[in-house]
Amino acid sequence: MPKLSLMFDNKIVKVVPVGSRPVTIGRSPDNDLPVDNLAVSNHHAKVYFEAGRMVVEDLDSLNGTFVNDLRVERATLHDGDNIHIGKHKIKVDASGDAPLAWDTGRKAAAPRIDETMVLDTKERRQMLQQAAAMGESMQFAGTRMKVPTLVVLRGKTDQKEYVLTNKLTVIGKSALATVRLQGWFKPRMAAQINQRDDGYYLGPGDKVPNVNGAPISGPVLLNDGDVVEVSGVRLNFVFRE
Amino acid sequence: MRIASGGVTDLGRVRTNNEDCYKIVEPLNLFVLSDGMGGEAHGEIASAMAVETVVKHCLDVEANPAAQVIGPVEPRWSVRTKRLSTAVHLANRNIFKSAEENPERHGMGATLTAVWIDEAKLSIAHVGDSRAYLLRGGSLLQLTRDHSLVAEQVRRGILTAVEAEKSEMQSVLLRALGAQGEIEVDAEEHTLFPRDVLLLCSDGLTRMVTEPEIAGTLQAETDPGRAAKKLVALANERGGPDNITVVIARLEKDSEGWFSWWRRGARKNLSSNGGTGGN
Repeated sequence: MPKLSLMFDNKIVKVVPVGSRPVTIGRSPDNDLPVDNLAVSNHHAKVYFEAGRMVVEDLDSLNGTFVNDLRVERATLHDGDNIHIGKHKIKVDASGDAPLAWDTGRKAAAPRIDETMVLDTKERRQMLQQAAAMGESMQFAGTRMKVPTLVVLRGKTDQKEYVLTNKLTVIGKSALATVRLQGWFKPRMAAQINQRDDGYYLGPGDKVPNVNGAPISGPVLLNDGDVVEVSGVRLNFVFRE
Repeated sequence: MRIASGGVTDLGRVRTNNEDCYKIVEPLNLFVLSDGMGGEAHGEIASAMAVETVVKHCLDVEANPAAQVIGPVEPRWSVRTKRLSTAVHLANRNIFKSAEENPERHGMGATLTAVWIDEAKLSIAHVGDSRAYLLRGGSLLQLTRDHSLVAEQVRRGILTAVEAEKSEMQSVLLRALGAQGEIEVDAEEHTLFPRDVLLLCSDGLTRMVTEPEIAGTLQAETDPGRAAKKLVALANERGGPDNITVVIARLEKDSEGWFSWWRRGARKNLSSNGGTGGN
């Protein structure tokens, strides 16, 4: 897995892996990579994957983020790059992101469909990069950090807004539900939302919810701005920046 | 919560050996499934090793709560989630070591999906492209992410889910046990609802049977063992190109309140009547 190593005086202070979630860097202790120095902003920068590439983004920091001594707003990172934040250096290790060579005796050009194989690091990166290059143009519109949120438009619930952080979200009266409905005769589990590879799917529970006015017939992929209605509650599904 | 469970593993119609493996440890409410890979019989060795290591570790830590935790854990996790994650790290080390020490086993590996249920909390640890689902209130919810190239491309917005299903690259995994000495394990926990149904399966099922069909079978057939057999049969009817393994666990709410007390009483009366009738 790709790694960031925080260095100070040429010593490694901390190492964090860069996975599916962005790595946040800053002075505030809630960062994944906290850097305790006054020259560093509370939330200074973040590093994440976008279309198969590791990207660093400056979060409007006071003193700036530098990659190999160039000040950047946003830049693609490569193996061996150095990010400078204040007096600290962060070394970028983009290698080792996948299992090692699988079946070295049999380097088939194209894997057969019935035979499971594990990609080696280099192959994996090339494949993802090629695929990313093809899908690049359509990629960029929607790849900023987006937080899926349910905003309550109508009805009684225990909160006004819910950020969907889990794979499973239950809407209902149950004490175990994430979005808790209040009032008489509300179902324990009215509907549910499942985070999957390509997005968030709304599915029926004890009730069949409406999406944009029409009842759903099975799990449906929610789009930014969709209005979900179930058991007298109206919720707006939005991606927040 | 009471749990009824059952599982089936099947060769399929094309393969000559079954590289899938599963184990249900009822006293622990532990469910483990693995799909092996590698030439000769080595896929079988790898998946069996994966399942055995996880089961053994979970049994051991019940007796020895001070056992060491391996791999990154989140502080908010329950003890069982930490142990389950540790067990998967151990399984990876064992398979990797065995492949290093036995050159003929080089290249063997396995997926692993393990679920440990403790009252209303479900702990899950997962590597590879076997899957765990929950059927809840009529919806089939996926608990795991496939560690395959196509799934990764879907997550990055490069492929759509439909394109991924048609891709010829479906068998390319990005993560599996045994491929390298240390591995990243997906571990999580979820709150369970009464009447939730858990399903673990190898890709031999999900490549041949659609999710609505899986949901329908789980709703129509409430006996876990019979439901598992039906799903396996469906995959075989469509060619059964790969080994198929299905494990099902149904949560049944413990009877509570005066109504069930009354029902229990009624059942007791019934059985004693039956006893008298037999005499």
